[in-house]
Parts: sequence; structure tokens; C-alpha cells
Amino acid sequence: MHINLIIFLLLLALGYGFGRYAEKQHYRSIIQREDELRGIPVIAIRFPPIMTPRPETTMVTGSVVIAEDYFKRFLFGLRTLIGGRIRSYETLVDRGRREAILRMKQQTAELGGSMVFNVKIETAGIISGRKSKIGAIEVHAYGTAIIPKEKESPRGLQQPQNS
Amino acid sequence: MDYSNPKIPEGINTSKEHPLKEFSLLLGGICLLMVVVFFLLAVAADFIAPQIPFSVEREVAARYIDKGMADPEPSAEAEQINHYLQQLAERIAKPLALPEGMSITVHYSEDETVNAFAVPGGHIIIFRGLLESVPDENVLAMVMAHEIAHIKHRDPIRGLGRAVVFGLAISALSMTLGNQIIDQFISSGGMLTTLHFSREQEGQADEAALAALAQLYGHIDGATELFEILHENHSKRGIEPPEFLSTHPENRRRIERIKVIAAAQGWTINGQRSALPALIQQLKTTQ
Repeated sequence: MHINLIIFLLLLALGYGFGRYAEKQHYRSIIQREDELRGIPVIAIRFPPIMTPRPETTMVTGSVVIAEDYFKRFLFGLRTLIGGRIRSYETLVDRGRREAILRMKQQTAELGGSMVFNVKIETAGIISGRKSKIGAIEVHAYGTAIIPKEKESPRGLQQPQNS
Repeated sequence: MDYSNPKIPEGINTSKEHPLKEFSLLLGGICLLMVVVFFLLAVAADFIAPQIPFSVEREVAARYIDKGMADPEPSAEAEQINHYLQQLAERIAKPLALPEGMSITVHYSEDETVNAFAVPGGHIIIFRGLLESVPDENVLAMVMAHEIAHIKHRDPIRGLGRAVVFGLAISALSMTLGNQIIDQFISSGGMLTTLHFSREQEGQADEAALAALAQLYGHIDGATELFEILHENHSKRGIEPPEFLSTHPENRRRIERIKVIAAAQGWTINGQRSALPALIQQLKTTQ
């Protein structure tokens, strides 16, 4: 009983301390990278805008797994007793969604893309079925990146000369 | 067509409220609710459990006592000690004026634990460890009177009643919630409530035991010494837990309370001590 209480309080303090630190750092990084990648719009339309010359398109994805902490879990448990907004999980899902989109945009930027269309987001709970376990969420964002062809594409001239 | 993603202000999908604020509000509210519910349950159990006739309690307890407690082949020495303890119990039970039909059965256990306790059915278990650490009969009589007072107050069955009610309430809740962290949290709340009731009963048992001693010996000498021995034994094993986590009130507070009660009732604190029989004194040398 005595030792259980100490372990419980310790886990709660650890969860709060590390969880909150990690969340702060993560948000800082998210906001900074969102600014950096703002030039690449992410759009839900299913068909790309008409462009000439016809751009290259390719699938881009970004996914992230974020674990909850003991503190969030405890807060969630208390919440389920009386109902209402589960604020401790809202930030978790928000971070997941934005991080997944950012990773997708990062991939687009590396491919030289200008925008991503037909973007979809999916989430999955990981080890959320076991009641004693601390869970995690996966957020997966995917879409089609538009990689515009440069005006004077050197592509045709620099064919690999094998034979 | 030009597309762009604007900068969306923070705090729409998430809350800017400090998580500790939500935490303390929720925790405070739920703790308050828990205290009320557990207290009502405990009061109800405390009221209902003593309605069970003592004869029924004894009959049910007998099934477990016969199997679990009794030594299958006690040594001649143990049997003698048991006999002495039983006689002492009967002597102390007289001033305690047990209700009709209530009887006390003492069991001697050769365990080194420095303790004694009362279980449902009017059974008292006294450990060898305790007999070894008491200096004389008066101190032992305090233990015995305390345990008999528990039985007179129907404390063992009250405790059992609370355990059953709390167990049911907690398991019913945890079945619907399915969150182990919260289960643990709520059952600790139940535990703390039980402990509170338990400490209250200890205080009442102490009081009744003192009255019995005063009547039996004409003084209460030795009563406080018991708690000094228990305190010492505790310190030897490690730190005493804080009172709210303990089944018993803190030993130092019990000693003080005894002094207050004795002064209020006008009982003599010092008096002639009675020696233990040679049989029990031998235990100390043959350990």
C-alpha cells in the first residue's frame, strides 16, 4: 500500500515532467517547420489543378507514432468518470496530425514538389486494447505530390548512354 | 489557381488551459465524491454487519479456523501456553461483560511475529513473538483485553462487512471502466477509508481494554508499556508508516490518549504488576 502510493506518485510526476517537456519541445519544432514548409500547400481536392507542362506526380507519405504518458492516461481515466473534453489527448492527436503532415511535406520538398493534393489522414491506436498498458497513436498522412517540370528540362538530353 | 495554407492560430484544436488545473479540479472533485460514497458504504456496512448473530459468525468462521489456524499437532508446551492464555482471556472477559452467547477462543501460534489479532468468530491469535517481548502479565492483559474488546464491539465482522461492500463496489466500477490506473486509484481511496474506520475501532478497543484492566487489577500499569514495546519493534524493522496509511493509530498517540483517558476516569497509573508464569518466561530464554 505504502510502496504502491510512492510508485504511483512517482509515475505521475515522471509522466507529467517528461510528457510536458516533450510536448513543449515538439510544438516548438512543429511551429517552426510549418513556417519553413508553408510554401508547399496541402490540399484535399481529389484532382490536381490543370498545369502545363503536365507535372510529374508521385505519392508521398508521412507517419508518426506518439505515446501517451502516465499523467495523460490518469487524466483520461478521471475524465471518463464524468465525461467531457479529454484535453490531455487533444494535444496528442493534434501533434500527431501535424507531425505526419510535416513529414509528408518534408518528403515532397526533398522530391522538389510544389504542392500535395488528395491528402488523407488516418489514425490507429497502438496497444490501446490492453487496459494496463500505456497506449500510443499512429497518425499516417498520405497524398499525391505535384513535381513541376522545369521549363527547359535537361532530361531529354541527358539520356544514360549505355551501349 | 493559387493554393496556400494559412497560418492557423494555436489553441483551436487544443486547450491552452494548464493541464495541472484540469488535473487538480478533476482529482479534487472525484476524491470528494469517493469520500462521500465510501463513507456511506462503510457506515452502512458497519450498521448491517453487527446484525449478523454471533452464533452464525462463529459457525461460518469455524470452517476456516479449523483448517487454517490450529496447529495439527501442538507440542505439550504449546498446549500448556494455550491453556494459560485461554484462562487469562476468560478472566479479562468478565469485566468486559460480553453479551450473552459470545465466547472467546484463544489460539497460540509459534510464529515470531510481535503481534496478536482478533478474527471473526471470537477467535484471538497470539504469537510467540509477542509473548517473548512482554515483561509481565499486565502488559499481556492489555493485549488480550484489547482483542477481546474488538470481539465485543464486533469489529472483525464489521471489517469483513466493509471489505465485502468495498470489494463489490470497486469491482463493479472497474468492470465498467476498464482502466487499471483508475481502478488502483479508487481502490486506494477505499483502502484509506477502511483504514480510517479501523483506526477508530482501535481507539475504542483501547478504551474498553483500559476499563477492563482498571477493574481487574485496580490500576492500569503496563498499558502504555505495550505500545512502547510495539513502537520499539516497529523502529527495529524500519520506519513506522504515516498514520493515514496505517490500520492502527500511531503508538505515541495511543500512549498519550491512554494517559488522558486514565486521568479523566481517575484510574491509578502505577500499581503492583503480576508476573508471567514460568512457562512463558522460559520462552525468552529458549528462543
